[in-house]
Amino acid sequence: MSSSDTPTTREIRTDYLARVEGEGGMFVRVRGDEVEEVQFKIFEPPRFFEALLRGRQFTEAPDITARICGICPIAYIASSCNAMEAVCGIELPEQVRLLRRLAYCGEWIESHVLHAAMLHAPDFLGYAGAVELARDRRDLVETALRLKKAGNTVMDVVGGRAVHPVNLRVGGTFRAPSRPELQALVPELEWARESAVEFTRWVATFDFPDYEQDYAFVALRQPGEYAIERGRIVSSTGLDIDVSEYEQHFTESHVERSNALHSTLAGVGNYLVGPLARYALNSGELSPLAREIAAEVGLGDVVRNPFRSIVVRAVETVYAADEALRIIAQYESPEPSFIPAVPRAGTGHGCTEAPRGICWHRYEIDGEGSILDAKIVPPTSQNQKTIEQDIVGVVRRSLHLTDEELAHRCELTIRNYDPCISCATHFLRLEVERA
Amino acid sequence: MKAAACLGSRYRGDDAVGPLVADRLRAAGAAVLECDDEPTRLLEAWTGLDLLVIVDAVSSGSPPGTVHRFDPGDGPLPHDLGLASTHAFSVPEALELGRALGRAPRRVLVVGVEGASFRMGDPVTPAVDAALDGVAAAVVAELSED
Repeated sequence: MSSSDTPTTREIRTDYLARVEGEGGMFVRVRGDEVEEVQFKIFEPPRFFEALLRGRQFTEAPDITARICGICPIAYIASSCNAMEAVCGIELPEQVRLLRRLAYCGEWIESHVLHAAMLHAPDFLGYAGAVELARDRRDLVETALRLKKAGNTVMDVVGGRAVHPVNLRVGGTFRAPSRPELQALVPELEWARESAVEFTRWVATFDFPDYEQDYAFVALRQPGEYAIERGRIVSSTGLDIDVSEYEQHFTESHVERSNALHSTLAGVGNYLVGPLARYALNSGELSPLAREIAAEVGLGDVVRNPFRSIVVRAVETVYAADEALRIIAQYESPEPSFIPAVPRAGTGHGCTEAPRGICWHRYEIDGEGSILDAKIVPPTSQNQKTIEQDIVGVVRRSLHLTDEELAHRCELTIRNYDPCISCATHFLRLEVERA
Repeated sequence: MKAAACLGSRYRGDDAVGPLVADRLRAAGAAVLECDDEPTRLLEAWTGLDLLVIVDAVSSGSPPGTVHRFDPGDGPLPHDLGLASTHAFSVPEALELGRALGRAPRRVLVVGVEGASFRMGDPVTPAVDAALDGVAAAVVAELSED
């Protein structure tokens, strides 16, 4: 890092994922009081996986796409299963669907807690990271690790294992857990629900930068439940479509200066997916406890300050624990545990709410079940343009900060989105140049 | 009790060093901790271990296939070797966290293989591939020493 007393041009740059150089990074140039340029590029493994999927059997898509992310494998599994089930004309029996939703609740808990407590909270508290936080507040980090483990355990029991679960398949699960197996999860989930309530109260006390955006929110909606593993795609701008209509309304376009694709919603432009969007569009479907805690910490009906996304994640963690307990309470082990999938030529679409936002898949298969084409649109790439917009807005309001403070503020802004590069923004480097 | 944690992705060129060495270690009957992308899960698995051998690809500018062996003692793991294979929490961070919480192995050893290419879909570099049997044998020897 270099600096000068009277900088006329300031550049902020991150080189994350040093091992995969050239695949991602952030760059900001400020001249005087003007933010001249912002580039935010993300690492996009799904592009590689789309190519890898061609020629593979349709039943392999869940296992293969689960490898895209070790944090949110259920999102990829569920979206690909939904798409294949749509092609094959399968409708899941209720208990089988709820098992998938239960695994997803586990993923929301583990992913939200990992991000909110271990990666995001230290930002607000002035710590470099969870390690430094743990030295001062061991109790908090121990609680977060136990909470996260509660989510992992749900994924273990339903999915076979938490990292790259193997028990979930097109049409259901290879083996449905017994009722006693799920009942055994109840005490820890009850503890998790209570701890998540306390966690929400804690993160709500953080000092949030004063910044709001009038986002176009996009999320799934399913009447009667807080949409996770199924639903129609809706927006705060009035969109209400079946997941199969996604490409008629959303466009991915190449950006000249990078290999990344920017997603836009027709007639709207950039948009936002993830916790803020889900909350704005579906908070009325949260459980009474989650609604109660959201009201208690003053969230209101819509949250437009992205820094407060940590509070929404905490509320969603309460909901996920609550919903997992609800599913377990009514659970009866389904027999059979899956509907056999018979391939037929066609195209299927699937979309589910990954912890970071909607994860949309399209597959074309032939009559033998061979995948002819695959398209995967992950949440972070959909948020990419909005993240850039936020960085511009935040930097513009923060020019009075020192270079170090400004770099930290940019890190925090990116981390609001829980992008698939969260930790990497620790490598943020600020450069100041004289013009 | 001694075990190895092998890091990396099979799909990302030389980043496959960890998983490919893990295959060899399992075949030899050694204890290998599952890790993949989320190393805070290792905190429980490695608590109380006498020795944890971390196997990973590294990117430090040495010729491809160069084997690095590093014993950090009580000091931090070498971030500058490029030991940052995760996108959420790196193994060096997880180890530091474990130390702060009293949940770390008694001794850690890092065995790294210098890689050349880490892009999605790339094959493993021949010089890296040629080093893997030797690395696996060395790790097995470390794990079986009294």
